[in-house]
Amino acid sequence: MDRLKGNALMLAGILLAAIYLFPLYWMYVTALKSGTEIMAYPPSFWPEDPTPIFGEVWTRLQMASYLKNSVLIAGGTTVLVVLFGTGCAYAMSRVKSVWIDVALFAVLMMQVLPSSLMVTPIFVFFNQIGLMDWPRGAVILAQAAKMLPLYIVLTRAAFLQVPAELEEAALVDGNSRVGAFLTIMVPLARNGILVTGVLVFLQSFGEYVYARSMIGTRELQPATVGLQSFMGPNSSDWSGVMSYAAIYVTPVLAIFVLLQRRIVSGLTSGALK
Amino acid sequence: MTQLQIELDGVDKHYGAYHALKGIDLAIPKGTFVALVGPSGCGKSTLLRTIAGLEKVSGGALRIAGANMTGTPPRKRDLAMVFQSYALYPHKTVRQNLTYSLRLKGIPRAEADRKAEEVARITGLEALLERYPRELSGGQRQRVAMGRAIVRNPKAFLFDEPLSNLDAALRVQMRAEVRRLHDRLGATSVYVTHDQVEAMTMADHVVVLRAGRIEQQGAPMELYDRPANQFVAGFIGSPATNFVPGRVTADGHAVHLDLPGAPCLAISGATPGRPVTAGLRPEHLQPCDPGTPGALALPVAVVEATGSQSFLVTDTDPALTICLAGRSPVPPGGTLSVTIDPGQVMLFDADSGDALRP
Repeated sequence: MDRLKGNALMLAGILLAAIYLFPLYWMYVTALKSGTEIMAYPPSFWPEDPTPIFGEVWTRLQMASYLKNSVLIAGGTTVLVVLFGTGCAYAMSRVKSVWIDVALFAVLMMQVLPSSLMVTPIFVFFNQIGLMDWPRGAVILAQAAKMLPLYIVLTRAAFLQVPAELEEAALVDGNSRVGAFLTIMVPLARNGILVTGVLVFLQSFGEYVYARSMIGTRELQPATVGLQSFMGPNSSDWSGVMSYAAIYVTPVLAIFVLLQRRIVSGLTSGALK
Repeated sequence: MTQLQIELDGVDKHYGAYHALKGIDLAIPKGTFVALVGPSGCGKSTLLRTIAGLEKVSGGALRIAGANMTGTPPRKRDLAMVFQSYALYPHKTVRQNLTYSLRLKGIPRAEADRKAEEVARITGLEALLERYPRELSGGQRQRVAMGRAIVRNPKAFLFDEPLSNLDAALRVQMRAEVRRLHDRLGATSVYVTHDQVEAMTMADHVVVLRAGRIEQQGAPMELYDRPANQFVAGFIGSPATNFVPGRVTADGHAVHLDLPGAPCLAISGATPGRPVTAGLRPEHLQPCDPGTPGALALPVAVVEATGSQSFLVTDTDPALTICLAGRSPVPPGGTLSVTIDPGQVMLFDADSGDALRP
């Protein structure tokens, strides 16, 4: 009876996962189909004659420039967030006061505001101070502001797990506050920092709203915006677009699969212990 | 006069409205082993952390080796601390744990390694130098924590209940080992514990704290023989002292205990007619033959035998504990006759709790 129930649950799980992963599967399959086969009805679930056109798409759609910009924006955002967020998260884990709770709440509130709402005031402000001369830098700044709350909240949980006595031992052992933070606290919260940093990177790698609004020049646009420019009512090159998407998404998936164990444990460690 | 290593003058500590330390005066000569002891929440750990510099003082002054260190950050105080949780750096090997402070001082790696190995030999950690703290047993971690303090050759050692996480047998063994190390290094140590046995057996000088105030300080036997008040009398000594209410007789030469059948004890020096509290240590109640003049017959409710000693709890109000060597001559429910030596009775003011005898 229990085994039957277990099997039924397993089946339901597989079914749900299949529904969830279907678009991903469809993306890869479509990338390998020919133009007529894509439009064929009923659709085929496996390409009759798989023709990978990844190399051709890479050069024709100038993906090198798009992906370079994506990596630049995601990397810049991650560096900024880790640089400014780590110290902040540590401070918020050590000081016990009502004001810290208030600050945490305010930080979380900012996370709630959607990019599409924030983009107009940010654009006007950046334009006024002349930041729009460096559109990728502007996107990095805006995206870093968007990601900081998440980073602070998750990394703070990692710091909370490191006993205060370790830091005190380092202070008595002759280290300064900053030294103890860098040689004891940061190495011990390393997992949390790493995992959250990867999350920030992946999120920024897929950023669309800010880049779309702030970057006009094609050479400076990231892959998300580039992909959008190839799609439209008159688009016919579906296998090209899907190949583009596959090239763009596969590294992200690979990172996630490789680090999934650490990511999951990093995200839940604060909650479970 | 010996040099003073740590001096506190009227040290105060407030946490918001909470007054954690109230005017602490303490002078610790070089080479002494001082124990800070008291019930939980008495401020003993706060006092130690204040000496270490982990807590800022709200008032008063602190000197270490003659230099004013009241507002100095911990790293400039040159004190070593052993934490209750040991606080070993989990991402560093035993060797790295031992050399961390030396490397911070700018001592070259080779020399730091040599010192770490020397300390490892003293503490019996030679074989464990390349291990991580998580691979060590509780006792071994404790030794690393000690070693990390010793390797620095600091002005003083601060211990925050370092033995409380060990099992009973190991605790007794480490007690002697800590004291031996202290003597061998000629160190100055401040040792916080809630266990008065630990304080009595290890320290040269015991400081009893309660609610942020020093109740009494002195040599262990001085506190045992001449407690300044009822609190110290109750805290020092195991099992705890029995307190019996009584009254000084009209002529002022005797005390009448408020126990059925209790004899008058010839004690002078107290105000005639005053209500007092008498402190009777369990080991000072001497069993005797029934019918001995001045004997007190006590109904026995409980007998706890440990083999070498027996603890008897009487069926009286207040219940008394009697500590006897060997086995109990009476079973539970029987009656034990004891004599009380007036010279061993401690008298306290019934209201203030202060000791009444000179």
